[in-house]
Amino acid sequence: MKGKYYIQSAAAISPQESFSGPFVPQLLTLADKNLLRIKEPDYSGFIPPNNLRRMSRVLKMGLVAALQCLRNSEVSMPGAIITGTGKGSLQDTERFLKNITEYAETALNPTPFIQSTYNSVNGLIAVQQKCTQYNSTFVHRGFSFEHALLDSMMQIAEGNADVVLTGAFEEISDEHFYIKSRIGYWKKALTQPAELLTSRTPGTIAGEGSAFFMLGSKPGNHPLACIEGIKMVYKPTQEKLHAALETFLAQHEITPSDIDLLITGQNGDVNHDHYYHNLIVQYFPATTSLPFKTLCGEYDTASAFALWLATQVIKEQGLKKILIYNNFYGDQHTFLLLSNS
Amino acid sequence: MKPTTIMEALKLKLKQQIIEALNLQDTRPEDIDDNAALFGEGLGLDSIDSLELMVLLERQYKIKVEDPREGRKILQSVQSMAEFIQSKQPA
Repeated sequence: MKGKYYIQSAAAISPQESFSGPFVPQLLTLADKNLLRIKEPDYSGFIPPNNLRRMSRVLKMGLVAALQCLRNSEVSMPGAIITGTGKGSLQDTERFLKNITEYAETALNPTPFIQSTYNSVNGLIAVQQKCTQYNSTFVHRGFSFEHALLDSMMQIAEGNADVVLTGAFEEISDEHFYIKSRIGYWKKALTQPAELLTSRTPGTIAGEGSAFFMLGSKPGNHPLACIEGIKMVYKPTQEKLHAALETFLAQHEITPSDIDLLITGQNGDVNHDHYYHNLIVQYFPATTSLPFKTLCGEYDTASAFALWLATQVIKEQGLKKILIYNNFYGDQHTFLLLSNS
Repeated sequence: MKPTTIMEALKLKLKQQIIEALNLQDTRPEDIDDNAALFGEGLGLDSIDSLELMVLLERQYKIKVEDPREGRKILQSVQSMAEFIQSKQPA
């Protein structure tokens, strides 16, 4: 997918102090688990108390990041609302499933059932903004946010919408953390983000977060960055991955030396680290790289945080070209090319 | 225990259960008037809350409300809910 898609505004809730004020990345300290939880902002300025009482964590973080993104833009009514999530509302899903077993499939609470659906954040945004435009949520594991972004770009390219509110949201629950730890997703020993990339052990640290973007066909008054292209590759060999990168860069008439910053999804997992290592050695030996998962942890839609991070770097440092390369457990690989205008 | 005392105890318990079931933060049982409307201007509950209250009746008191029209009358206030519960209790 090629073209120019302007990020007119952005907002993120993450383990970092990312929601308000100038962003200063910090390598956080974990207390007892390989898990980075979000720093929750004060939601009461965004959601009426009567609605807030019913919402689970992911709904609050998703809705409020979206509302902040809308506040940061000059848009009140987007032409579409398109999001991605790998797991949706885990907390509500777990509550609903526990109710089913506890009450033998009778007398089930409606609230966790309603909110456990993947598109409940989208529905809340639409209701809050009274937006009856195109509304869709993509649930494709490590490609969830990428497909939301691709659909947003296509809506703009085909003239269906001038501006699209697009984003992603993910939460981690204690139960889900435990289940994933049983199948080797997380490192066994407590590993601090500062040690993550030198740990040389299997697994990584878990994370969560939400990020939203106002994407437009025009720059708007204060554009943060411009998305020039996206390329997704599913379960490639190293050779196919490199071929995909070469084709992607050639399509945009640039070479690796044109990239000012490479933002990578390196997460210290020895099972999949070779993809990053070999790519950097072969194409970007002299390019500055920024491994974003040391800041936010690993989750299905962590690439949305990477995109938000790229907008902040472009805003603060005025870099011209940024390439994001992320893969999710070696299966879903994405290249995302951004420029400063 | 006198019938009036039983009724008062039931209403207090019901208020506590409503607060917990609906996560009514910053609301105490004494803040809820027995006869105040639960929906609209009173506690300001909505249609999803009404379903939650039906679940509360079924789980806590083993009472299933089959007729939605009956539900409207039962869920008018804490008083009406308590009276309904009491009417369904074995003599």
